[in-house]
Amino acid sequence: MNLKNLSIKRKLMLITMLTSGLAVVLSSAGFLSYDLISFRHSLSQDLMTQAEIIGYNSAAAMAFKDESAATVTLSALQAKEDIVSAVLYTRDGKVFAQYIHANTRRPRLPAPPPERGYRFEGSYLEVFRDVSLNGELVGTLFLQSDMRQWNSRARRYASIFLSFVLISGFIALLVSSKLQKLISGPILHLEDTMRMVSATKSYEVRATKFYGDEIGRLIDGFNTMLSEIQQRDTAFHHANDELKTRTLQLEGEIVHRKEMQKELLTAKHAAEDANRAKSAFLANMSHELRTPLNAIIGYSEMLEEETHELGKVENIKDLQKIQGAGKHLLSLINDVLDLSKIEAGRMGLHLETFDISQMIDEMVTTLHPAISKNSNTIQVHLAEDLGAMRADITKVRQILFNLLSNASKFTDHGTISVDVDRSTEEDQDWIRFRVADTGIGITAKQKGNLFQEFTQADVSIARKYGGTGLGLAISYRYVRLMNGRISVESEPGQGSVFTVHLPAKVTTEVTEAAQTEKINDLPAATIETKSNMDTILVIDDDSVVRDLMSRFLTRLGFHVVAAASGEEGLRLAKQVNPLVVTLDVIMPDCDGWAVLNKLKADPELSEIPVIMVTVVDNETMGFELGASNYLIKPVDRDRLAVLIEKHRAARSSTLTNAKASPASRHNVSPKKGSGGSKGTITANGKVTVPLT
Amino acid sequence: MPKILLVEDNEMNRDMLSRRLQRKGFIVVAAHDGEQGHLLAHTENPDIILMDISLPVMDGWEVTRLLKADKATRHIPIIALTAHALMTDRTKAFEVGCDDYDTKPVEFGRLSEKIDNLLVVRKPS
Repeated sequence: MNLKNLSIKRKLMLITMLTSGLAVVLSSAGFLSYDLISFRHSLSQDLMTQAEIIGYNSAAAMAFKDESAATVTLSALQAKEDIVSAVLYTRDGKVFAQYIHANTRRPRLPAPPPERGYRFEGSYLEVFRDVSLNGELVGTLFLQSDMRQWNSRARRYASIFLSFVLISGFIALLVSSKLQKLISGPILHLEDTMRMVSATKSYEVRATKFYGDEIGRLIDGFNTMLSEIQQRDTAFHHANDELKTRTLQLEGEIVHRKEMQKELLTAKHAAEDANRAKSAFLANMSHELRTPLNAIIGYSEMLEEETHELGKVENIKDLQKIQGAGKHLLSLINDVLDLSKIEAGRMGLHLETFDISQMIDEMVTTLHPAISKNSNTIQVHLAEDLGAMRADITKVRQILFNLLSNASKFTDHGTISVDVDRSTEEDQDWIRFRVADTGIGITAKQKGNLFQEFTQADVSIARKYGGTGLGLAISYRYVRLMNGRISVESEPGQGSVFTVHLPAKVTTEVTEAAQTEKINDLPAATIETKSNMDTILVIDDDSVVRDLMSRFLTRLGFHVVAAASGEEGLRLAKQVNPLVVTLDVIMPDCDGWAVLNKLKADPELSEIPVIMVTVVDNETMGFELGASNYLIKPVDRDRLAVLIEKHRAARSSTLTNAKASPASRHNVSPKKGSGGSKGTITANGKVTVPLT
Repeated sequence: MPKILLVEDNEMNRDMLSRRLQRKGFIVVAAHDGEQGHLLAHTENPDIILMDISLPVMDGWEVTRLLKADKATRHIPIIALTAHALMTDRTKAFEVGCDDYDTKPVEFGRLSEKIDNLLVVRKPS
């Protein structure tokens, strides 16, 4: 039984009983012992007194040597039960008279008398006393008594003591068992409460405080702890619930996204397949269309030769007509196929380094018949440092051929001049080809549609001058494919000047094979048709700002749509699909950040660059939320213009409804009546075209 | 009169080219596939070969390689006739050993010039 692990109740009771028991025992024992000791002492005094009395009484007898008288005196001692023996000794130590109690065994009698006084010898009290008569010593008296009085007293005391202890012990037990509750009660209650809390895991339980003592404070502490746990538990459960909700939400979203992904993937595959089919189609058609046509042209040529030999001159004209029609058809087919290829993004660049002057010379020679047909003369000026360039020579030839044949077609008895030189712009070398003629010129209306296919301004012109109407469209696209620029200056009746700038080192080389794999062309083209390159959406609640921005941007040549609120802005953005959105931050009903968020969250709109324009300086937030640029009001207009231009350049590789002839970066002649999109428009090897 | 071997699978093209070459004064032998072309090159010993590239049985590149590897036929100049004008086709033509190439559809004047050039070179031997 390990005392240490007894319950509090028992410990307390034990402690109480022990202490009280100890108190009782010690005090009683002390008290009783003292009493017994003093009793013993008084016993001895008593016997001494008795010895004196006997001595007096015996003195005469002893002096007169009366033994019998002495014995009689001694025998009076039988009245006292506890006196065991008495002996009178003569002066010289001889026994004179004695008394021995009846029930005594043979007592031990000392022979020579010990010292005077009393002593406790064994279980007897002995007294020695001088007997004197009139001051004269006559003998000694020895008195022996047993301790029966003391013994019975001691025994009595012992039993009293015992019963005392027992009774008080019992009472202590009762009292302590009642009083220990003061301590153990609250503790047990605390223990119970704790057990209950851990069993039921309910933290709103509280332990009752009984008293304001240490245990009370312990209970307070415990309760505080419980309420903290309860709080945290509640918070935890809330968070958990929220987390569950969130997780479900997210999972839902993920499922949704995955579905969308699947759909997109399917669409992508479909688009890829469509494109592959298109390529295959183009490749096949190319060959299939040309083959019979070549036969037509070839045979009619042959027939012409044979007829010539045979001398049947009258048939030659007819044969020549066949030939002419065939050749015309062939060039139409070639042009159409080229354009289709470009539109499908299948047109690649095959770069090689070649000598420019040589190429020009060859071309001019080839075109000599066409030029002299209209009695035109040609002048060629080639810069001395021309050297070589790296480009797709076939395309360059085609472009120049187109320009030169146009020049010859539309000029009569005039001059065609070709100027080629090299210049450096921004660390890059550029070759400039300038083809000028003194022909019929181009009207403003015609200029608007110049580089578009199939709009050879007047049908009558087409009839009169021949051609497919596709040459410039193709040239334009070739120039752009090589990252160059092409522009025209002309007034009706005053001839025309076509200028082509090409990089001396054309860089984007894309093999046909590689292009076949680029399937994002299709969707890109779709976007291009939707996006109106020239529209800017301005979102600002301040009408003055809207007005100013509109005017400024319109002057730059853009079409501006303005919204006074975020809602309106979002709606318009979807309708108009602008090139760029400028967005104010501080707006009453819908703050700019929220609008930005919405713009970026909507898949239709997320691609549109957003320029934040605001007084608030919070660039980081702007960029985090997806803004492309961040301008602080008052707006630096030039900066804005540059930014918009950059976005447009990045966006377009383009071949859109080139409403305007793209002016060269440094050639700042705004085109009359055109949308006037200024600036460089660069191709990036990926040619996207509105799917008309 | 110089003998031309024409290897061309398209009947009309073959017909046209043969007749025009004949009128120009050449003797023309024609093959309609690569294998036949290879055979005729050995048996007919032409002065020049016009080799279409896309041929059945054995394509033009293959025939050219074989002919240029063979001592007996190595000396015969070969003009490749290709439908494409890609740089890759051009380089390949010269890689396999062609002496010149021309694009289809054939422009007879241009082709004649090339033929004449190659024959002139040959003449002395």
